[in-house]
Amino acid sequence: MGTSFPFNDLGGPLKHLLIVVFVVCLVSLMSLPAFASNDAVNTNTVSPTLVVSVTVQKAIRLTLATGSQCTVSAGGGGDYSISFGNVDALAINTATCGSKFVPTTPGSTNAVYYTDYTVTPMFTSQTTTNNSLSAYVSSTFSKANLSIVQSNSAPSAIGDLSSMSTSSGAQTSLTTNAASGSAVTRYVGVSVAPTNGAGLTGSDSATITYTLTVQ
Amino acid sequence: MLVFCTPSLCQDIALQTASGGVTISGSGPFTSGFGNVNGLGAGTTPTGLTLVTSGVSGGVLYTTPYNIRISGASTSHPAAVSIYMSTNFGHPSNLILKSCYPSSSCTSAASYGAVSTSSASPTPVISAPGLNNSTVTASFALFVSNTSGTGFFSGTDTAAVTFLVYDASNMSLKHTYVLNLTSPATNVQTAVRLTLGTASGGVTISPASDYSMSYGNVNGLGIGPSSGLTVVSASGGVIYTTPYLLQPSFSSFSTSTATLKAYVSLDFVHPAIVEMRNASSSGGPYAAISKSSGSQTSLTATAASGTAVTRYLGLFVANTNGASAFTGADNARLTYTLTAP
Repeated sequence: MGTSFPFNDLGGPLKHLLIVVFVVCLVSLMSLPAFASNDAVNTNTVSPTLVVSVTVQKAIRLTLATGSQCTVSAGGGGDYSISFGNVDALAINTATCGSKFVPTTPGSTNAVYYTDYTVTPMFTSQTTTNNSLSAYVSSTFSKANLSIVQSNSAPSAIGDLSSMSTSSGAQTSLTTNAASGSAVTRYVGVSVAPTNGAGLTGSDSATITYTLTVQ
Repeated sequence: MLVFCTPSLCQDIALQTASGGVTISGSGPFTSGFGNVNGLGAGTTPTGLTLVTSGVSGGVLYTTPYNIRISGASTSHPAAVSIYMSTNFGHPSNLILKSCYPSSSCTSAASYGAVSTSSASPTPVISAPGLNNSTVTASFALFVSNTSGTGFFSGTDTAAVTFLVYDASNMSLKHTYVLNLTSPATNVQTAVRLTLGTASGGVTISPASDYSMSYGNVNGLGIGPSSGLTVVSASGGVIYTTPYLLQPSFSSFSTSTATLKAYVSLDFVHPAIVEMRNASSSGGPYAAISKSSGSQTSLTATAASGTAVTRYLGLFVANTNGASAFTGADNARLTYTLTAP
Protein backbone atom coordinates (compact mmCIF):
# COMPACT_ATOMS: atom_id res chain seq x y z
CA MET A 1 0.00 0.00 0.00
CA GLY A 2 1.40 3.30 -1.03
CA THR A 3 1.74 6.19 1.39
CA SER A 4 -0.83 8.92 0.92
CA PHE A 5 -1.30 12.30 2.59
CA PRO A 6 -4.96 13.26 2.82
CA PHE A 7 -5.52 16.96 2.18
CA ASN A 8 -6.55 17.57 5.75
CA ASP A 9 -3.31 16.14 7.05
CA LEU A 10 -1.45 18.94 5.32
CA GLY A 11 -4.14 21.56 5.40
CA GLY A 12 -4.69 21.46 9.13
CA PRO A 13 -1.23 22.51 10.28
CA LEU A 14 -0.96 24.96 7.41
CA LYS A 15 -4.07 26.75 8.50
CA HIS A 16 -2.72 27.06 12.00
CA LEU A 17 0.49 28.46 10.63
CA LEU A 18 -1.33 31.07 8.60
CA ILE A 19 -3.38 32.14 11.59
CA VAL A 20 -0.29 32.53 13.70
CA VAL A 21 1.41 34.62 11.04
CA PHE A 22 -1.61 36.88 10.74
CA VAL A 23 -1.69 37.56 14.46
CA VAL A 24 2.00 38.32 14.55
CA CYS A 25 1.66 40.78 11.69
CA LEU A 26 -1.25 42.48 13.37
CA VAL A 27 0.67 42.91 16.58
CA SER A 28 3.67 44.21 14.68
CA LEU A 29 1.64 46.81 12.87
CA MET A 30 0.06 47.95 16.09
CA SER A 31 3.46 48.46 17.65
CA LEU A 32 4.89 50.50 14.78
CA PRO A 33 5.30 54.25 15.33
CA ALA A 34 2.18 55.75 13.91
CA PHE A 35 3.68 59.11 13.02
CA ALA A 36 6.69 60.82 11.56
CA SER A 37 9.58 60.76 13.95
CA ASN A 38 9.57 64.47 14.64
CA ASP A 39 6.29 64.29 16.55
CA ALA A 40 4.41 61.77 18.63
CA VAL A 41 1.37 61.53 20.86
CA ASN A 42 0.72 59.79 24.13
CA THR A 43 4.41 59.75 24.94
CA ASN A 44 6.97 62.17 26.32
CA THR A 45 9.86 61.84 23.93
CA VAL A 46 10.59 62.21 20.24
CA SER A 47 13.85 61.74 18.33
CA PRO A 48 14.21 63.22 14.86
CA THR A 49 17.49 62.89 12.99
CA LEU A 50 19.73 65.20 11.01
CA VAL A 51 21.94 63.84 8.27
CA VAL A 52 25.08 65.91 7.82
CA SER A 53 27.02 65.61 4.59
CA VAL A 54 30.42 67.00 3.78
CA THR A 55 33.11 66.77 1.14
CA VAL A 56 36.64 67.08 2.40
CA GLN A 57 39.08 68.66 -0.03
CA LYS A 58 42.81 69.18 -0.09
CA ALA A 59 43.91 72.67 0.84
CA ILE A 60 47.11 74.61 0.59
CA ARG A 61 48.06 78.07 1.75
CA LEU A 62 51.20 80.20 1.75
CA THR A 63 51.34 83.40 3.75
CA LEU A 64 54.03 86.04 4.01
CA ALA A 65 54.47 88.10 7.14
CA THR A 66 56.69 90.68 8.71
CA GLY A 67 59.81 89.37 10.33
CA SER A 68 61.77 91.60 12.68
CA GLN A 69 62.42 94.39 10.19
CA CYS A 70 60.46 95.75 7.23
CA THR A 71 56.70 95.50 7.26
CA VAL A 72 55.08 93.04 4.91
CA SER A 73 51.69 94.44 4.07
CA ALA A 74 48.70 92.87 2.41
CA GLY A 75 47.93 94.28 -1.03
CA GLY A 76 49.92 97.11 -2.54
CA GLY A 77 49.77 95.85 -6.10
CA GLY A 78 50.15 92.17 -5.27
CA ASP A 79 49.01 89.81 -2.56
CA TYR A 80 51.68 91.34 -0.35
CA SER A 81 54.04 94.29 -0.59
CA ILE A 82 57.17 95.56 1.07
CA SER A 83 58.94 98.91 0.61
CA PHE A 84 62.60 99.70 1.12
CA GLY A 85 62.18 103.44 0.72
CA ASN A 86 65.12 105.48 -0.58
CA VAL A 87 68.14 103.50 -1.62
CA ASP A 88 71.36 104.37 -3.40
CA ALA A 89 74.31 102.50 -4.81
CA LEU A 90 76.73 103.89 -2.26
CA ALA A 91 74.46 102.93 0.66
CA ILE A 92 74.45 106.47 1.85
CA ASN A 93 70.73 106.43 2.58
CA THR A 94 69.90 104.94 5.91
CA ALA A 95 67.70 101.95 5.45
CA THR A 96 64.09 102.97 6.02
CA CYS A 97 63.63 99.51 7.46
CA GLY A 98 65.80 96.48 7.54
CA SER A 99 69.53 96.57 7.00
CA LYS A 100 72.05 97.43 4.32
CA PHE A 101 75.41 96.36 3.06
CA VAL A 102 77.68 98.99 1.69
CA PRO A 103 79.39 98.09 -1.58
CA THR A 104 82.61 96.18 -1.36
CA THR A 105 84.11 98.66 -3.75
CA PRO A 106 82.07 101.84 -3.68
CA GLY A 107 81.38 103.07 -7.15
CA SER A 108 82.23 99.72 -8.67
CA THR A 109 80.15 97.11 -6.87
CA ASN A 110 76.55 97.02 -5.73
CA ALA A 111 75.02 98.08 -2.46
CA VAL A 112 72.21 96.00 -0.94
CA TYR A 113 69.25 96.98 1.21
CA TYR A 114 67.53 93.91 2.73
CA THR A 115 65.12 92.69 5.36
CA ASP A 116 64.02 89.49 6.95
CA TYR A 117 60.46 88.20 6.54
CA THR A 118 58.61 84.97 7.11
CA VAL A 119 56.82 82.58 4.82
CA THR A 120 54.39 80.09 6.33
CA PRO A 121 53.34 77.09 4.29
CA MET A 122 50.16 75.29 5.29
CA PHE A 123 48.58 72.29 3.66
CA THR A 124 46.00 69.69 4.63
CA SER A 125 44.60 66.39 3.42
CA GLN A 126 47.62 65.85 1.21
CA THR A 127 48.74 62.32 0.74
CA THR A 128 52.32 63.33 1.46
CA THR A 129 54.12 65.93 3.50
CA ASN A 130 56.91 66.30 0.95
CA ASN A 131 56.91 69.84 -0.31
CA SER A 132 58.99 72.53 -1.89
CA LEU A 133 58.87 76.28 -1.56
CA SER A 134 60.43 78.39 -4.30
CA ALA A 135 60.28 81.92 -5.66
CA TYR A 136 61.23 83.91 -8.72
CA VAL A 137 61.03 87.48 -9.87
CA SER A 138 58.01 87.41 -12.12
CA SER A 139 58.25 91.11 -12.90
CA THR A 140 61.63 92.75 -12.69
CA PHE A 141 62.43 96.37 -11.87
CA SER A 142 62.17 98.61 -14.87
CA LYS A 143 65.41 100.31 -13.95
CA ALA A 144 68.49 98.41 -14.99
CA ASN A 145 70.43 99.26 -11.84
CA LEU A 146 67.98 97.47 -9.52
CA SER A 147 67.59 93.75 -8.89
CA ILE A 148 66.18 91.38 -6.27
CA VAL A 149 68.53 89.41 -4.06
CA GLN A 150 67.74 86.86 -1.40
CA SER A 151 69.19 84.54 1.19
CA ASN A 152 67.83 81.52 3.05
CA SER A 153 69.83 82.41 6.14
CA ALA A 154 70.79 85.60 7.89
CA PRO A 155 73.43 87.24 5.70
CA SER A 156 76.60 88.33 7.38
CA ALA A 157 78.16 89.86 4.32
CA ILE A 158 76.88 91.23 1.05
CA GLY A 159 78.07 88.12 -0.69
CA ASP A 160 75.61 86.02 1.29
CA LEU A 161 72.77 87.52 -0.72
CA SER A 162 72.40 86.16 -4.24
CA SER A 163 70.23 87.10 -7.15
CA MET A 164 66.75 85.63 -7.18
CA SER A 165 65.83 83.74 -10.32
CA THR A 166 63.78 85.53 -12.90
CA SER A 167 62.70 82.28 -14.52
CA SER A 168 59.52 80.49 -13.58
CA GLY A 169 61.07 77.33 -14.92
CA ALA A 170 64.11 77.52 -12.69
CA GLN A 171 62.95 79.16 -9.52
CA THR A 172 65.07 79.88 -6.48
CA SER A 173 64.52 77.30 -3.77
CA LEU A 174 63.61 78.75 -0.39
CA THR A 175 63.17 75.43 1.41
CA THR A 176 62.02 71.86 1.02
CA ASN A 177 59.84 69.74 3.25
CA ALA A 178 58.79 72.58 5.47
CA ALA A 179 56.41 71.69 8.24
CA SER A 180 52.84 72.75 7.60
CA GLY A 181 52.01 75.72 9.73
CA SER A 182 55.58 76.55 10.70
CA ALA A 183 56.94 79.94 9.71
CA VAL A 184 60.22 80.02 7.82
CA THR A 185 62.42 83.11 8.02
CA ARG A 186 64.00 84.26 4.80
CA TYR A 187 65.78 87.39 3.58
CA VAL A 188 65.04 89.52 0.56
CA GLY A 189 66.68 92.67 -0.63
CA VAL A 190 67.30 95.15 -3.39
CA SER A 191 70.69 95.30 -5.01
CA VAL A 192 71.60 98.75 -6.35
CA ALA A 193 74.24 98.89 -9.04
CA PRO A 194 76.51 101.97 -9.28
CA THR A 195 75.45 102.54 -12.85
CA ASN A 196 75.19 106.01 -14.25
CA GLY A 197 73.04 107.19 -17.07
CA ALA A 198 69.56 108.31 -17.77
CA GLY A 199 66.46 107.02 -16.03
CA LEU A 200 68.15 105.30 -13.13
CA THR A 201 66.55 107.20 -10.27
CA GLY A 202 63.02 107.39 -8.94
CA SER A 203 60.56 104.87 -7.68
CA ASP A 204 60.38 101.37 -9.04
CA SER A 205 58.94 98.03 -8.09
CA ALA A 206 59.34 94.36 -8.84
CA THR A 207 57.10 91.37 -8.24
CA ILE A 208 58.19 88.11 -6.67
CA THR A 209 56.03 85.02 -7.14
CA TYR A 210 56.25 82.28 -4.52
CA THR A 211 55.26 78.70 -5.20
CA LEU A 212 54.46 76.06 -2.60
CA THR A 213 54.08 72.56 -3.96
CA VAL A 214 53.18 69.45 -1.98
CA GLN A 215 53.77 66.19 -3.79
CA MET B 1 -54.21 85.20 11.16
CA LEU B 2 -52.90 83.60 14.29
CA VAL B 3 -51.26 80.23 13.76
CA PHE B 4 -50.85 77.71 16.50
CA CYS B 5 -49.03 74.45 16.33
CA THR B 6 -48.53 71.50 18.53
CA PRO B 7 -44.93 70.70 19.36
CA SER B 8 -44.93 67.83 16.92
CA LEU B 9 -45.92 70.14 14.11
CA CYS B 10 -43.83 73.15 15.03
CA GLN B 11 -40.38 74.07 13.81
CA ASP B 12 -38.14 71.17 14.54
CA ILE B 13 -34.65 69.94 13.80
CA ALA B 14 -32.69 66.74 13.60
CA LEU B 15 -28.91 66.58 13.84
CA GLN B 16 -27.25 64.41 11.26
CA THR B 17 -23.82 63.33 10.20
CA ALA B 18 -22.44 65.61 7.52
CA SER B 19 -20.19 64.49 4.73
CA GLY B 20 -16.66 64.48 6.04
CA GLY B 21 -17.78 65.02 9.60
CA VAL B 22 -17.91 62.98 12.76
CA THR B 23 -20.75 60.55 13.23
CA ILE B 24 -23.86 61.84 14.95
CA SER B 25 -26.22 59.21 16.22
CA GLY B 26 -29.55 59.19 18.00
CA SER B 27 -32.76 61.10 17.47
CA GLY B 28 -32.71 63.33 20.47
CA PRO B 29 -30.74 63.22 22.55
CA PHE B 30 -28.05 63.02 19.91
CA THR B 31 -24.57 61.67 20.51
CA SER B 32 -21.22 62.41 18.99
CA GLY B 33 -17.64 63.05 20.11
CA PHE B 34 -14.11 64.04 19.20
CA GLY B 35 -11.98 61.12 20.38
CA ASN B 36 -8.18 61.48 20.56
CA VAL B 37 -6.93 65.03 20.27
CA ASN B 38 -3.86 66.95 21.40
CA GLY B 39 -2.75 70.52 21.69
CA LEU B 40 -0.18 70.27 18.90
CA GLY B 41 -2.33 68.58 16.33
CA ALA B 42 0.30 65.87 16.19
CA GLY B 43 -0.37 62.39 14.97
CA THR B 44 -3.28 61.14 12.95
CA THR B 45 -6.33 63.36 12.98
CA PRO B 46 -9.40 61.29 13.90
CA THR B 47 -11.82 60.45 11.11
CA GLY B 48 -14.34 63.19 10.57
CA LEU B 49 -12.17 65.91 12.05
CA THR B 50 -10.05 68.49 10.30
CA LEU B 51 -7.07 70.05 11.97
CA VAL B 52 -6.68 73.83 11.93
CA THR B 53 -3.44 75.30 13.25
CA SER B 54 -3.18 78.55 11.35
CA GLY B 55 -4.54 81.52 13.23
CA VAL B 56 -4.89 79.59 16.45
CA SER B 57 -3.01 80.75 19.50
CA GLY B 58 -2.20 78.45 22.39
CA GLY B 59 -3.41 75.26 20.79
CA VAL B 60 -5.22 73.89 17.76
CA LEU B 61 -8.72 73.46 16.45
CA TYR B 62 -10.32 70.21 15.43
CA THR B 63 -13.30 71.03 13.24
CA THR B 64 -16.20 68.98 11.98
CA PRO B 65 -19.25 69.80 9.91
CA TYR B 66 -22.70 68.57 10.98
CA ASN B 67 -26.11 68.77 9.39
CA ILE B 68 -29.22 70.40 10.78
CA ARG B 69 -32.37 69.10 9.11
CA ILE B 70 -35.17 71.60 9.59
CA SER B 71 -38.78 70.49 9.49
CA GLY B 72 -42.14 71.93 10.47
CA ALA B 73 -41.14 75.39 9.30
CA SER B 74 -42.78 77.56 6.71
CA THR B 75 -42.16 80.83 4.98
CA SER B 76 -44.15 82.67 7.60
CA HIS B 77 -42.80 80.62 10.44
CA PRO B 78 -39.16 79.81 9.68
CA ALA B 79 -36.90 78.14 12.19
CA ALA B 80 -34.04 79.63 14.14
CA VAL B 81 -31.51 77.65 16.15
CA SER B 82 -29.27 78.58 19.02
CA ILE B 83 -26.97 76.49 21.17
CA TYR B 84 -25.27 76.61 24.54
CA MET B 85 -23.06 74.37 26.61
CA SER B 86 -25.54 72.77 28.94
CA THR B 87 -22.68 70.74 30.34
CA ASN B 88 -19.33 72.28 29.66
CA PHE B 89 -16.12 70.33 29.53
CA GLY B 90 -14.66 69.64 32.93
CA HIS B 91 -11.53 71.49 31.83
CA PRO B 92 -13.00 74.55 30.17
CA SER B 93 -9.71 76.36 29.69
CA ASN B 94 -8.23 73.36 27.90
CA LEU B 95 -11.21 72.38 25.81
CA ILE B 96 -13.47 75.00 24.26
CA LEU B 97 -16.25 74.20 21.84
CA LYS B 98 -16.72 76.73 19.05
CA SER B 99 -19.42 77.16 16.46
CA CYS B 100 -19.66 78.46 12.91
CA TYR B 101 -22.50 78.70 10.40
CA PRO B 102 -22.85 78.14 7.52
CA SER B 103 -20.14 75.53 7.18
CA SER B 104 -19.10 76.86 3.79
CA SER B 105 -17.97 80.06 5.49
CA CYS B 106 -15.99 78.26 8.17
CA THR B 107 -12.70 78.49 6.33
CA SER B 108 -10.44 79.75 9.08
CA ALA B 109 -10.05 79.75 12.82
CA ALA B 110 -11.42 83.26 12.94
CA SER B 111 -14.72 82.00 11.55
CA TYR B 112 -15.51 80.25 14.81
CA GLY B 113 -16.92 81.72 17.99
CA ALA B 114 -17.05 80.07 21.39
CA VAL B 115 -20.32 78.42 22.25
CA SER B 116 -22.05 80.20 25.11
CA THR B 117 -22.15 78.47 28.45
CA SER B 118 -25.31 80.33 29.41
CA SER B 119 -28.80 79.18 28.61
CA ALA B 120 -29.90 82.77 29.01
CA SER B 121 -27.70 83.97 26.18
CA PRO B 122 -27.23 81.07 23.83
CA THR B 123 -25.07 81.28 20.72
CA PRO B 124 -27.09 81.73 17.52
CA VAL B 125 -26.49 79.17 14.83
CA ILE B 126 -29.35 80.00 12.51
CA SER B 127 -30.40 83.50 13.31
CA ALA B 128 -33.66 85.30 12.52
CA PRO B 129 -35.20 85.60 10.00
CA GLY B 130 -34.48 81.87 10.08
CA LEU B 131 -34.87 79.16 7.48
CA ASN B 132 -37.66 77.20 5.93
CA ASN B 133 -37.59 73.42 5.77
CA SER B 134 -34.19 72.37 4.54
CA THR B 135 -30.98 70.64 5.56
CA VAL B 136 -28.12 72.96 6.27
CA THR B 137 -24.58 72.36 7.41
CA ALA B 138 -22.92 74.03 10.37
CA SER B 139 -19.53 73.35 11.93
CA PHE B 140 -18.13 72.79 15.35
CA ALA B 141 -14.54 73.40 16.30
CA LEU B 142 -12.92 72.04 19.40
CA PHE B 143 -10.10 74.18 20.69
CA VAL B 144 -7.49 72.04 22.40
CA SER B 145 -4.99 73.93 24.52
CA ASN B 146 -1.30 73.14 24.29
CA THR B 147 -0.68 74.16 27.87
CA SER B 148 1.93 72.36 29.89
CA GLY B 149 2.70 73.08 33.50
CA THR B 150 0.17 75.06 35.47
CA GLY B 151 -3.29 74.49 34.04
CA PHE B 152 -2.32 71.47 31.97
CA PHE B 153 -4.74 68.68 31.28
CA SER B 154 -4.54 65.26 29.72
CA GLY B 155 -7.18 62.57 29.83
CA THR B 156 -10.83 62.18 28.92
CA ASP B 157 -13.54 64.77 29.15
CA THR B 158 -17.14 65.11 28.01
CA ALA B 159 -19.66 67.86 27.39
CA ALA B 160 -23.21 68.39 26.22
CA VAL B 161 -24.60 71.00 23.85
CA THR B 162 -28.22 72.00 24.00
CA PHE B 163 -29.91 73.05 20.76
CA LEU B 164 -32.82 75.48 21.09
CA VAL B 165 -35.26 75.55 18.17
CA TYR B 166 -37.35 78.69 17.75
CA ASP B 167 -40.15 79.95 15.63
CA ALA B 168 -38.08 82.70 14.06
CA SER B 169 -41.15 84.82 13.44
CA ASN B 170 -41.54 85.52 17.13
CA MET B 171 -38.53 83.72 18.64
CA SER B 172 -40.70 81.46 20.72
CA LEU B 173 -38.97 78.29 21.81
CA LYS B 174 -40.41 75.22 20.19
CA HIS B 175 -37.97 72.39 20.81
CA THR B 176 -34.91 71.60 22.88
CA TYR B 177 -32.41 68.91 22.02
CA VAL B 178 -29.20 67.77 23.63
CA LEU B 179 -26.10 66.69 21.76
CA ASN B 180 -23.95 64.66 24.10
CA LEU B 181 -20.27 64.86 23.22
CA THR B 182 -19.55 61.60 24.94
CA SER B 183 -19.07 58.97 22.29
CA PRO B 184 -16.26 58.89 21.72
CA ALA B 185 -15.23 60.91 24.71
CA THR B 186 -12.73 63.65 24.09
CA ASN B 187 -9.36 62.21 25.01
CA VAL B 188 -6.63 64.82 25.36
CA GLN B 189 -3.30 63.15 24.77
CA THR B 190 0.15 64.41 25.52
CA ALA B 191 2.12 65.35 22.43
CA VAL B 192 5.74 66.15 21.66
CA ARG B 193 7.31 67.58 18.57
CA LEU B 194 10.83 68.58 17.69
CA THR B 195 11.61 70.32 14.46
CA LEU B 196 14.93 71.64 13.19
CA GLY B 197 15.09 74.88 11.30
CA THR B 198 17.42 77.16 9.42
CA ALA B 199 18.73 80.03 11.49
CA SER B 200 19.17 83.49 10.03
CA GLY B 201 22.46 83.53 8.17
CA GLY B 202 22.98 79.82 8.67
CA VAL B 203 23.17 76.79 6.45
CA THR B 204 19.83 75.55 5.14
CA ILE B 205 18.30 72.71 7.10
CA SER B 206 16.15 70.68 4.74
CA PRO B 207 13.34 68.36 5.81
CA ALA B 208 14.30 64.96 4.50
CA SER B 209 14.28 61.75 6.53
CA ASP B 210 14.01 63.66 8.88
CA TYR B 211 16.35 66.57 8.17
CA SER B 212 19.53 67.09 6.24
CA MET B 213 22.18 69.71 5.78
CA SER B 214 25.39 69.99 3.83
CA TYR B 215 28.63 71.68 4.72
CA GLY B 216 29.65 71.44 1.08
CA ASN B 217 33.35 71.46 0.34
CA VAL B 218 35.55 71.85 3.38
CA ASN B 219 39.25 71.65 4.09
CA GLY B 220 41.58 71.62 7.02
CA LEU B 221 42.58 75.23 6.54
CA GLY B 222 39.08 76.69 6.50
CA ILE B 223 39.56 78.18 3.05
CA GLY B 224 36.41 79.28 1.27
CA PRO B 225 33.56 78.26 3.58
CA SER B 226 30.21 77.85 1.85
CA SER B 227 27.40 80.32 2.39
CA GLY B 228 26.07 80.22 5.93
CA LEU B 229 29.29 78.87 7.40
CA THR B 230 31.97 80.57 9.39
CA VAL B 231 35.34 79.15 10.31
CA VAL B 232 36.66 78.93 13.85
CA SER B 233 40.21 77.85 14.51
CA ALA B 234 40.78 74.71 16.51
CA SER B 235 43.69 72.62 17.58
CA GLY B 236 44.66 70.30 14.75
CA GLY B 237 42.34 71.82 12.20
CA VAL B 238 39.40 74.15 11.86
CA ILE B 239 35.70 74.16 12.68
CA TYR B 240 33.10 75.09 10.12
CA THR B 241 30.11 76.29 12.08
CA THR B 242 26.55 77.34 11.43
CA PRO B 243 23.72 78.44 13.66
CA TYR B 244 20.53 76.39 13.50
CA LEU B 245 17.25 76.23 15.31
CA LEU B 246 15.84 73.55 17.55
CA GLN B 247 12.13 74.08 17.89
CA PRO B 248 10.57 72.03 20.69
CA SER B 249 6.84 71.80 21.22
CA PHE B 250 5.03 69.76 23.79
CA SER B 251 1.56 69.85 25.26
CA SER B 252 -0.48 68.60 28.19
CA PHE B 253 2.51 67.82 30.40
CA SER B 254 2.66 68.62 34.07
CA THR B 255 5.79 70.74 33.74
CA SER B 256 6.65 73.45 31.27
CA THR B 257 10.29 72.69 30.56
CA ALA B 258 11.88 69.85 28.67
CA THR B 259 15.33 68.56 27.87
CA LEU B 260 17.03 68.53 24.50
CA LYS B 261 19.88 66.18 23.80
CA ALA B 262 21.77 64.95 20.77
CA TYR B 263 24.25 62.30 19.81
CA VAL B 264 25.97 61.08 16.69
CA SER B 265 23.94 58.00 15.88
CA LEU B 266 25.87 57.28 12.70
CA ASP B 267 29.43 58.50 12.68
CA PHE B 268 31.52 59.63 9.75
CA VAL B 269 33.51 56.93 8.03
CA HIS B 270 36.59 59.03 8.76
CA PRO B 271 36.04 60.16 12.36
CA ALA B 272 39.67 61.21 12.78
CA ILE B 273 39.27 63.74 9.99
CA VAL B 274 35.74 65.11 10.50
CA GLU B 275 33.82 65.37 13.75
CA MET B 276 30.55 66.99 14.84
CA ARG B 277 30.81 69.58 17.60
CA ASN B 278 28.33 71.71 19.48
CA ALA B 279 28.44 75.20 20.97
CA SER B 280 25.93 77.63 22.39
CA SER B 281 27.64 80.62 20.83
CA SER B 282 29.27 81.18 17.48
CA GLY B 283 32.78 81.55 18.83
CA GLY B 284 32.54 78.49 21.02
CA PRO B 285 33.80 76.76 22.99
CA TYR B 286 32.97 73.78 20.83
CA ALA B 287 32.75 70.30 22.30
CA ALA B 288 32.52 67.03 20.45
CA ILE B 289 28.98 65.70 20.31
CA SER B 290 28.58 62.40 22.10
CA LYS B 291 28.53 59.25 20.05
CA SER B 292 26.65 57.32 22.71
CA SER B 293 22.89 57.14 22.96
CA GLY B 294 23.32 56.39 26.63
CA SER B 295 25.19 59.58 27.40
CA GLN B 296 23.98 62.14 24.93
CA THR B 297 25.22 65.70 24.72
CA SER B 298 22.86 68.02 26.55
CA LEU B 299 21.75 70.99 24.46
CA THR B 300 19.45 72.48 27.08
CA ALA B 301 17.55 71.33 30.13
CA THR B 302 15.12 74.21 30.08
CA ALA B 303 13.51 74.04 26.67
CA ALA B 304 10.19 75.86 26.60
CA SER B 305 7.46 74.74 24.27
CA GLY B 306 7.20 76.96 21.24
CA THR B 307 10.50 78.72 21.87
CA ALA B 308 13.27 78.07 19.38
CA VAL B 309 16.69 77.28 20.77
CA THR B 310 19.65 78.48 18.73
CA ARG B 311 22.72 76.31 18.80
CA TYR B 312 25.84 76.16 16.67
CA LEU B 313 26.65 72.97 14.85
CA GLY B 314 30.35 72.74 14.20
CA LEU B 315 32.15 70.46 11.81
CA PHE B 316 35.74 69.93 12.82
CA VAL B 317 38.05 69.21 9.89
CA ALA B 318 41.53 67.96 10.75
CA ASN B 319 44.54 69.35 8.93
CA THR B 320 46.05 65.91 8.62
CA ASN B 321 48.50 65.11 5.86
CA GLY B 322 50.15 61.92 4.76
CA ALA B 323 48.88 58.38 4.72
CA SER B 324 46.01 59.05 7.11
CA ALA B 325 44.75 62.05 5.16
CA PHE B 326 41.32 61.86 3.60
CA THR B 327 39.58 63.68 0.79
CA GLY B 328 36.11 63.03 -0.49
CA ALA B 329 32.52 62.79 0.68
CA ASP B 330 31.41 61.61 4.07
CA ASN B 331 28.18 61.64 6.06
CA ALA B 332 27.06 61.43 9.65
CA ARG B 333 23.69 61.29 11.33
CA LEU B 334 22.72 63.16 14.46
CA THR B 335 19.78 62.05 16.53
CA TYR B 336 18.08 64.65 18.66
CA THR B 337 15.89 63.75 21.59
CA LEU B 338 13.28 65.98 23.13
CA THR B 339 12.00 64.67 26.42
CA ALA B 340 9.17 66.30 28.28
CA PRO B 341 9.16 65.38 31.96
